[in-house]
Amino acid sequence: MQHTDTLTLYDSQFNSRFLLGTALYRSPAQMSEAIKASGSEFITLSLRRQNPQHNDGEAFWQLIKETGCKLLPNTAGCKSAKEAINLAEMSRELFATDWIKLEVIGDDYNLQPDPFELVIAARELIKRGFKVLPYCTDDLILCLRLRDAGCQVLMPWGAPIGTGQGLLNKYHLQSLRERITDIPLIIDAGLGSPSQAAAALEMGYDAVLLNTAVAKADDPALMAKAFSLAISAGRSAYLAGLMQRRQTATPSTPVLGQPFWHQQ
Amino acid sequence: MPLSSSLNIAIVGAGLVGRLLAYQLSQLNVKISLFEANPLNIHTEANQLDAAAFTAAGMIAPISEALEADLHSYYLGKTSLALWPKIVSELNLANATGINYQHSGSLIICHPQDRAELQHFSRQVQKLATATGAVFTALNGDDIRQLEPGLPNSFEQGILLPEEAHIDNRALMSSLLQQCLRKGVKLIDNTIADIDNNQVHYQNQRHSYDWVFDCRGIGAKKHRTELRGVRGELLRVHCPDVNFNRPIRLMHPRYQLYLVPKPGRQYVIGATQIESEDRSPMTVQSMLELCSAMYSINPAFAEARILEQNTNLRPALNDNRASVLICDRHVSINGLFRHGYLIAPAIVQSVIRWLEGQQCQHHKILFSTAEQSSA
Repeated sequence: MQHTDTLTLYDSQFNSRFLLGTALYRSPAQMSEAIKASGSEFITLSLRRQNPQHNDGEAFWQLIKETGCKLLPNTAGCKSAKEAINLAEMSRELFATDWIKLEVIGDDYNLQPDPFELVIAARELIKRGFKVLPYCTDDLILCLRLRDAGCQVLMPWGAPIGTGQGLLNKYHLQSLRERITDIPLIIDAGLGSPSQAAAALEMGYDAVLLNTAVAKADDPALMAKAFSLAISAGRSAYLAGLMQRRQTATPSTPVLGQPFWHQQ
Repeated sequence: MPLSSSLNIAIVGAGLVGRLLAYQLSQLNVKISLFEANPLNIHTEANQLDAAAFTAAGMIAPISEALEADLHSYYLGKTSLALWPKIVSELNLANATGINYQHSGSLIICHPQDRAELQHFSRQVQKLATATGAVFTALNGDDIRQLEPGLPNSFEQGILLPEEAHIDNRALMSSLLQQCLRKGVKLIDNTIADIDNNQVHYQNQRHSYDWVFDCRGIGAKKHRTELRGVRGELLRVHCPDVNFNRPIRLMHPRYQLYLVPKPGRQYVIGATQIESEDRSPMTVQSMLELCSAMYSINPAFAEARILEQNTNLRPALNDNRASVLICDRHVSINGLFRHGYLIAPAIVQSVIRWLEGQQCQHHKILFSTAEQSSA
């Protein structure tokens, strides 16, 4: 038995709760295998320096199309709202999609999102008809501002991109989930292992997006499958209802052999 | 079975594979026509920058590359490492200008804040060593500075891969061409050639051969639809103040930079690998990244002179592995990706063995056959 609920992002339904990146694989063939094994239906790709209008990277592009997945172009590498908006417009034209993973980077070293520019860019892109999925930190106020700007999905980080640190601030992430219940939340970036992905789903997050942990694994397809199973397990656990943690041990089997007088 | 000297062979594309194959076949007294789309003036190098083989850094690094690719490139690279010294010494005997080939290993380092990258590399190397017997040595700061006194004290951990080598690729390319011409290879350059099975069409002419070897790299797209170009960006600088003895790879979370010494205190620096067939010049961002990484390896690079910025397209197939595809009399050698100097000698050796009716150890992973298309 498996959970059968679907994930709704804007107006689209997805069976899979696993969004996968297309960078860093050792070869395009390996990327295709990993996407297939992941069961993902939504994959991210970067427009930067690809020029599909000149038939650049046509063979690579063909492989991406063959996966049958919906495309989520990103604005990776942008450092200002203006830059991100321009790149989003180019993506819309080249990939023929309104969807955009909005990344505005504030710090070169840990690739931390710039919250101020992010809100400006999100507001403008929503106005221009984009379906914006912002990559943000776990700051509650930032997330509320992005929601107010019209984002119908938010993607807080678990940890900085590519670090594999997992859910660094569980307290923030938990309170974010408790406060924002009307739109889906996706953990984007920082996940290193399937157990961390499962933990995100158990916490009530709707999906996860990752790339490095799969692409840099010795066997990316196998790791993609492992994440897929963990994500599914985490979602099932969330739906099934996790038990409350308790301070004292309570036996799951009644202690029949013990005389009553011994229990007081 | 030795090759018959009555064999008549066309080689289309005078890049690394085309030249190496022409050179080695000419040693066996086979009649060869070598076609090249670009003009080849053998006395100047500058007008040959179009081929990836010229702009490449010329590393022969089976271990470093296997970690980014797979074991195929490792085994092909090991064979090539054994073949290069003989090829180079033969060429150096025959030509006045010597080719610098150095078997001094390569050094893997990182900045202190990127130590996780080196640890990841180290774990991967250990795994490879267990599987293949590859040799590596973990280094501390003193070891590093003993090998490369030009590296600052901030580099405290590193790995030496002693089996790796590097070659002065430009000297090699021009030496190969000179020897081919001396051995009677017929060069038809500045000419676009089309291949139709055993025939080559060019300038309204049509000639038939016993075999046509298609070594055109990205130019062979018509015959290999899967082929794609992967953009690489490289700088060539002159820096008399810095002396490094071996290629240095700098681990970084987002890219691996390599710095390869060339004769005359020149250095080739590259890092980027972009899924694009854009051949336009280097971007400012790449320039900034390459230059700042170079500067962080040794501040004396601030005074280096930038001699060239180059972009090239490395021909790659979907699995990023090299392939020899035989379609009747048309033999396509392609997909060497960024491993040209690493694997070309092994591939050329396999191809010659195959012509001689034998199969070498790499035959299975390289060769495949295709039906001749009815068109």
